[in-house]
Parts: sequence; C-alpha cells; structure tokens
Amino acid sequence: MSLETTLPAAPSKPPKMPPMKALVSRLVGNPLGGVIAALVIIFGASCALSPHFLTSFNMMIIARALAFVGLVTIGQSVLMILGELDLSVGAIGGLAGVVGGILMVQLGLNPWLSLGLCLLMGAGCGLLNGALITQLRLHSLVLTIGMAGVYGGANLVATKGVAITGIPRDISFLGRGLVMGVPVPFVVLLVCLAVVAFVMFRTPVGRYIYAIGSNPDAARMLGIRVNAIRMGAFALAGFLSALAGILMVARLGTAQPSIGDTWVLAPIAAAVIGGVATTGGIGSPVGAVLGAVIIGMIEDIIVLFGISPYWQSVVSGGIVVLAISFDALARRYLNRDAA
Amino acid sequence: MTILQIEAVRKTYPGVVALDHVDLTLEPGKIHILAGENGAGKSTLIKVLTGLVAPDEGRVLIEDGDALADRALFTKVAYVPQELSLFGSMTVAENMFMPFDRSGFGHLTVSRRAMEKAAADLIQRFGIHAKPGHLVNRISVPDQQLLQIARAACREEFRVLILDEPTSSLTANETEHLFGIIRRLRDDGCAIVFVSHKMEEIFELGDTVTVLRNGRSVGTYPMQGMTEGHLIQLMSGSSVSLEEKFQPRFAVSENDTILSAKHISGPGFSDASFTLRRGEILGFAGLVGAGRSELMQTIFGYHRATSGQCFLDGEEIPRGRTDRAVAMGMVYLSEERKHHGIFPLLSVRENISLSVLDRMKRGGIISSRRENDVVAETIRQFDVRTSSAAKKIVHLSGGNQQKAIIGRAMARRPRVLIFDEPTKGIDIGTKFQIYRIMQQLAEEGVGIILVSSEMTELQRCASRIITMYSGRITGSFDQATTDVNTLVGAIIGAPETRHVA
Repeated sequence: MSLETTLPAAPSKPPKMPPMKALVSRLVGNPLGGVIAALVIIFGASCALSPHFLTSFNMMIIARALAFVGLVTIGQSVLMILGELDLSVGAIGGLAGVVGGILMVQLGLNPWLSLGLCLLMGAGCGLLNGALITQLRLHSLVLTIGMAGVYGGANLVATKGVAITGIPRDISFLGRGLVMGVPVPFVVLLVCLAVVAFVMFRTPVGRYIYAIGSNPDAARMLGIRVNAIRMGAFALAGFLSALAGILMVARLGTAQPSIGDTWVLAPIAAAVIGGVATTGGIGSPVGAVLGAVIIGMIEDIIVLFGISPYWQSVVSGGIVVLAISFDALARRYLNRDAA
Repeated sequence: MTILQIEAVRKTYPGVVALDHVDLTLEPGKIHILAGENGAGKSTLIKVLTGLVAPDEGRVLIEDGDALADRALFTKVAYVPQELSLFGSMTVAENMFMPFDRSGFGHLTVSRRAMEKAAADLIQRFGIHAKPGHLVNRISVPDQQLLQIARAACREEFRVLILDEPTSSLTANETEHLFGIIRRLRDDGCAIVFVSHKMEEIFELGDTVTVLRNGRSVGTYPMQGMTEGHLIQLMSGSSVSLEEKFQPRFAVSENDTILSAKHISGPGFSDASFTLRRGEILGFAGLVGAGRSELMQTIFGYHRATSGQCFLDGEEIPRGRTDRAVAMGMVYLSEERKHHGIFPLLSVRENISLSVLDRMKRGGIISSRRENDVVAETIRQFDVRTSSAAKKIVHLSGGNQQKAIIGRAMARRPRVLIFDEPTKGIDIGTKFQIYRIMQQLAEEGVGIILVSSEMTELQRCASRIITMYSGRITGSFDQATTDVNTLVGAIIGAPETRHVA
C-alpha cells in the first residue's frame, strides 16, 4: 500500500531508497510478497541441502501429498477472509470418504454417482454449519467444534472404526493417476484454486467476501446479502473437504475412518503463512495454498533427511510464527529511520 | 506566559504534507480553538501536541523544556479523543483509573473500594449519571463521553487539555454542562485546546482561534471581534452565504407518496406512521436516543420490525432484508461512519464501487474500466481528497471518508435516500456541498429523509419536519410556518409545546 501512495504525488522529492530497503518495501507492498520470499528461500535451501529434493520423483510426491490439504485450505481460507472459521472440515472430509465407501462397496452404487452424492453431502454439511451460524447467530468457532464431533461421530457409527476395503478400480485413477506426468489430485487442486481465485478477484461476490470480512455491519448496510454469502462459503468449504476425502479414498483404495484427522490445523496454518488474517478481510486463497506448499516442502525435507517425524510439527509451527512475524518485522525495518 | 509552544512544525506522510511550518502557542487560562476544514491538518497537529507523532522538523516546547528530547513532558498534556475509547465490560471506576498502578490504586492488588470512592467524587464533579460500579457499556453514550473527559482530567499533573469534537453525541443540556466544566478548568489555570465544527460552540467558548488550511496555519486571532462569516472565509479560503436555504424549489404534490410507514414498531420505538413524498426533504428531529436512527434502520431492514408495514411505491418492503430494500431503490447512510460505513481494510476505490458492483459486471466479471470510471467520477464530483484511489480508506481524513461514502450511496441512484446525521464532524464548506447534493436529488424526484440533531440544518434543508420523543412520533410540522420553539418543545416531550423555550 505504501508503494502506491508514494508514486503519484510529491514530484519534488522522489524517494531514494537503498536497494535492500526497496526490496523489503516491494515485498511488503505486495500481499503475496512474504509468502513468495519464504517459498523461494526454503526451496533454494532444500535444493542445496539435499540432492534428492529437486528430482521429478520427489516433486511428484510433494505435489500429491499437497493436493489434499491444499483443497481444504482453499475453502478454509475463503472462510477466514470472511472472518469465519470451520473446524469441522476434517470431519466432513472423513465422513465423505466413508460414506463414499459405503455407497460404492456395501450398497454397490455406481462409483461416479456415489462420488457425486458424497460431494453433495459435503456441501450439505457445510451448508448446515453455515445455516446454524447465521440463523442462530452463533460463533463459527464454537459451533464447528461441536459439529466436528457430530460428523466425526457419525463416521465412527457408520464404520465402527474399521476401514472399508474393496473400493472399485473405476475411480482409483482420481487418486493415483497422472495427467501429463502430474498427479491427478494436484491437477484437481489447481483447477479448484483457479476457479475460486477467479471468483475472489474478479467477481462481485468475491469483492463482497472481502467487504464482509472487513466490516460485516457496513456490508449489511449496503444491502449485501451477508448471510447468504456466509452460507455459500461454508458450503464451498464442505464441498472441497468432501472432494479431498473422496480423492484420498481413491488414492488409498480403502475408506479409512481416520481420513481428515490432520486437515483441521494444517490448512489454518497454511492460510496464516500465506498472509490470510485470522481476523478477516485480508489475504487470498492463492497465498494460502502457497503457504500449504511451504509446509509440504518442509515436511518433505524432514523425511529426506531421515529426521524423526515428530519434529515435523515443531518445524511447521515455528514456520507459522516466523511467517506472521515477517510482515511486522519488515514494516518495523522500513519505519526505523523514517521519522 | 506560555505552557506549550510549537515552532515551525512540519510533518509529511507519503504523498501528503500534513503540516507545513505551523506555529502554535498555548497560554494558561485560555480556551484555544483549532479550526479548519476536514483534512486541514487538525488531527495531525493534535497528534504532535500529544506526542503521538514526532514531527519531521520543528520544535515542541512544554513549560520551556524540549518535549521531543524529554518525552515525559507530554504527560502534562491530557487528550480526549473524538471516538469513544473505553473498556466496555469494566466498571466506570476502573475506566477512570486505568492503569491502576499509575493512579495509585493498586500495585499488586487493586483497591476497589478506595477507587470507587474517588470515582464518586469525579462522577459528581462531571455530572455523570452513573454509579462507580456500573459497567461502561450499560451507561448512555453522553455519559461515556463525559467519563472519557473525566478520565483525562483526573490526571493531576496535566496543564493542557485537548478536546477533539467532544460534543458530537451530546444534547444541548449536556453540552452546556460540559462547557461549565471546561470553563472551570480554564479558570483553574489550565490551557484548553478545543476542536469543533459547530460555530455556536466556537463563539460561545473560545478565547483565541488558530485557523489551519491545507496543512498551513492561516493565523491566530482573538475571538473577540471575530464574525462567523470571517471565520468561515479564513477556513475555506472562500465565502459561503449563511442565509442560503436548500429546500427543493419545486412544490411536491400531496398524493405523490413514495415511502409510507404504517404503525411500525421495533427496538427503541413504537407505532410510527409517516409518509414521504417524491421530491421532498423530510426532516426528523429529536434528542439522542429518541429512536430516530432505530426507526430508519428498521424501515431499511437492518433491524427486524416487530409489527407494522412499510411500503415503497406501494410495494411492501420485507422485514429484516437490507438487500431487498436496496434492490427496491432505497439507500441508508448511517451516522456511525466507522461501524456502519467504511470498510477499513479496503481501498478508496473498492469502498466506493462496492455499492454498484452488480451494475458494472460484464459476463459476471467486474469490468475494471467501468469501475475506474465510476470511482474517478465519484472522487471528482464529491471532491474526495486522496492522493490515489488505491489508498486505503482509513488513511483519509474523516470528512473525506464521509464524502466517499456519500458518493458511494449516490452512485446507486436511489429513489429513497435516508441520511442519518450526514454532516456530523464535517466542516462547513463540505456541509453546504452535501446540502446542495440533497437539494439537487430532491429536485430530480428522489424522496429524502434527513435525520439531524442540528435544528439549523433541518430548517435550512427540510420542507417538513417530524419530531420524535422517547420512541414515539410527536408531531409533523411544515418548516416554513413553524418556529423553533415549537419544534424544540416537541422533541423534549413538553406537553404544551408553545410555552417551552
């Protein structure tokens, strides 16, 4: 922001900046600056540290692992920009997976029909969250903690905790296949991200989402359909979680009840790393997914080095703290001798 | 003798010179008015005086000490901000003495009883209608305002008190009461800096006035011998006619109703019925808390009506649906600019275009060319002063934010427009601009409701004035044939309206 304001006015004194300062200023000015800088640094460091990192095989592993959390991240980041949060996305993903398994294996339905039904169910679960939040005026954090219990419990009731095996081969392409050498789930992620980013940046609804996140009361005063948009965003998050759940089933070949257990905090961390404000109104799904890429790369390098996986969360937690400090530190650096 | 003196202070922000070699001298026992239009640099100057902002150049002397070197000197300056900044879920006494260790009411534990006892004295001195143990968000807004002043004034060591538009949510009685307190502080030898856009207050209270324009000091003058016309001229650099009236010049026909409310009840008001005609400016007068804003917000659908109906052009407006009200051609401009108006995280451009995005899309996509055109036109037409449309709106001065919001509402081309205190905290030049816009719109056939606490504003603009008292409509008056006393009687709920001054 500071960049844009310095440019047109004050023709008498063009601001002179040392190159380091100009670089920091540019990164702060661009909303994606922080995450891109971090991405480049970590990517470069990983390439230097391990000869196995920059191989097509390893890249494919990262891409495939990333796809599932990435899909959930898209939905969660849109909710966060709105100023909401859904802690039941993981449970919805898991429930969609096992429901898919039941429909395909136990009821013998057509796999593609089952897949469609699961996605609908996911969107329905999200819509139910949204409807309860908007109609009963509940806090989304509290309500979705409760709903996570409901959906997760339904999952266990249906499966008794046992995985459903024998998923038809028809859909395994979705989880294991390649399109021009790229894993299918990753392609699905890119397509979803492109669609959602387009809506967020170029359409009125996207602009309304930023407006609601910035000031929900003022948005209502302007006649924006705040509750309808909120419900739509929850439905989207549910839909994307269900999609991730189904893709995971297709990849594993079994419907595990534990699918989605790790899809709650990682997407929030990814969104924060990618510049999405927890208070709403700031950030973008693109940044959030880039944040997920960072987490994915770190997890990968930890595996490559053979470090105990227990260190993973220590490192990714540290990265979150670093990422949110980056912006504040950069601003302080810029202002240091401005006075 | 001087308490505080600033010399040749200069402060620039990216793209703007906020203060350009400004001098100011504050003397004890004097009330010093700071006057100037929105964006003239008053807020920045106050920030320099309170030490919140360090100037790029110049000196700040407090009791002959260099305050920029010894920042402890700034504790001698007490400041009451315009916006309420209190801890809502804490008690009156706690708010008064926060932070407790500095006010001497607790180092390890807070001695609540002693604190409430001390608070009781201040409450009495400042005439606050509350008990020390009351929670702040349970007391009225005027009382909160007074509490904020009491909080600033209970610091023993202060020699300068800065009040930034302290009366914007006070009624006439409360304002009078506050002025009494200010005068007493002045007589105790305190230097007062008073910022206000209300001419009556400036002339009633001021001893000296410093006028700012575009970041420069136009000069400092004694208030004695100053006239309203001259002061306005100094502030704006041009002259406006105070006698100018803004009633729509065409007669409206009796049966050309555009909006009608029938026995509508909701939060804070009950059984309100009235009609608004096409091409009319209908004023709503009443005290703070009379239920005017609540009534308008309910008609607009922001609150849900508990009974009654509203019709726009014969079509019923559904309850609690602002989106439908807007789609039917209604726009409401709230007095709460910060809470209901601006989107602080978005740019000026995004703030303005938000109301008309649905009309500037092409195949579902926002056309950035059309958006830029509309925004540029609005910025030009409403004289929004910003270095760039991409600037975040929070970086604009309050008056320019207000102009941007009004421009946004107009871009929608509404059929019914509700203005709720549109000129609160706005300088007189901009005020007249807004009046002219209202007049023009009314003459084009828009129905306008003007909710205002300023009688002069209603008399200047409205053709008809409806009065409210304690949640009920108490009368409807033709502006041309009604005197102020009758109106004032109706808004204070006097049974025999004609005998009340």
